[in-house]
Amino acid sequence: MAGHELIDGHLAALARRLPAGAVGELADGLTETWEHHLGAGLPPAAAARAAIAEFGAPEQIVAAFVAAAPGRRTARMLLATGPLVGACWGATLLAAGARAWPAPAPAAALVVAAVLLAVVAALVVAATSRRSYRRTRLGAAGGCALIALDATMLTAVLLLAPGPAWPMLLAVPASLARIGLTARALPAALTR
Amino acid sequence: MAGSGQELKGHLDVLLLATLAAGPRHGYAVKEALREGSGGRFDLPTGTIYPALHRLEEAGLIAGSWSAVDGRRRRTYRLTVAGERRLHADRGNWREFATAVTALLEPGPWPATS
Repeated sequence: MAGHELIDGHLAALARRLPAGAVGELADGLTETWEHHLGAGLPPAAAARAAIAEFGAPEQIVAAFVAAAPGRRTARMLLATGPLVGACWGATLLAAGARAWPAPAPAAALVVAAVLLAVVAALVVAATSRRSYRRTRLGAAGGCALIALDATMLTAVLLLAPGPAWPMLLAVPASLARIGLTARALPAALTR
Repeated sequence: MAGSGQELKGHLDVLLLATLAAGPRHGYAVKEALREGSGGRFDLPTGTIYPALHRLEEAGLIAGSWSAVDGRRRRTYRLTVAGERRLHADRGNWREFATAVTALLEPGPWPATS
C-alpha cells in the first residue's frame, strides 16, 4: 500500500482483530482521510496523525464492529428464545414417556445434553463479547450446532415416540421455526 | 465530538439512510455528509461508521458494491427500495415527534386548567 507507515501500522493493528473484508474497506477510508489532510497542506506524518485521530483508536473501532457483529446478534437471539424451545421439548419428552423409550435413548440423551451445554456456553461467549470479534464467530458455530440438535430431536421424536403427545404441537413448530431463523441469520454470521 | 455517539443513539440508522438519499456514497463520504449536514455536531470516528453501514446492509436497507479507485478497493452504498421506504416513514415519525416536543418546550402562555 502506498501509504504512510503510521497509516499502515494502524491498519495492521485493525487487521489483527477484524475480518479481511472489513479491513479492506477501512484501508480505503483511512487512506482517503490521510489524503484529505495531505491535500489541506499538512506534511505526511502530521496528516497521518490527524487522519488516525479522526478515524478512531483500534479499540473503539473494534468495539463498534463487535457491537454490530452478526454472530453476536444471532447468539443473543438464540439465547433469548432457547429457554422457550427447551421447555417445549422438556414437556414433550415427559409427556411422551421418553424414559421408557428403547435404548440407545439414554446414552443419546447424555450426548445431546453435553452438546447443548457446549452450545449454550459458546453462545454466551459470543453474546457477551465486547472487544473480541473472533469470539462473536462462536455465534455462528453455536447456531450450526443448534440446527443439528433441533434436527436430532425432530428425528428422534419421529422415530422413537410411541405415539403423539400434545406438547409436540409446540415443540416441533418451535424447533422448525428456530431452524429457519438460524439458517437465515447464518450466512451473514459466517461470512462477515 | 466525543459525546455524539451517545447523543445519536437510536437516530443513527435514519441519519445514515438520509446521507444516501441524494445518491450512492462510500464510508468516508457518508461520515463527511453526516458531519457537514449537522454543522459539525455529529462528527463520529470514521472507523465506527462502517459497522453501522454493514448492519443496515444486512437489514436490506442499503446495498454495497465494490469498485477499484486509485488502486484501492472501495465499497459504495446505495439505498434499496426498502431503505427508501424506511427513510420516508422515519422522516414522518420524526417530524411528528419534533413538532410535539417543540410545542412542549417552547416558552409560552399555558392554557389554564381548572
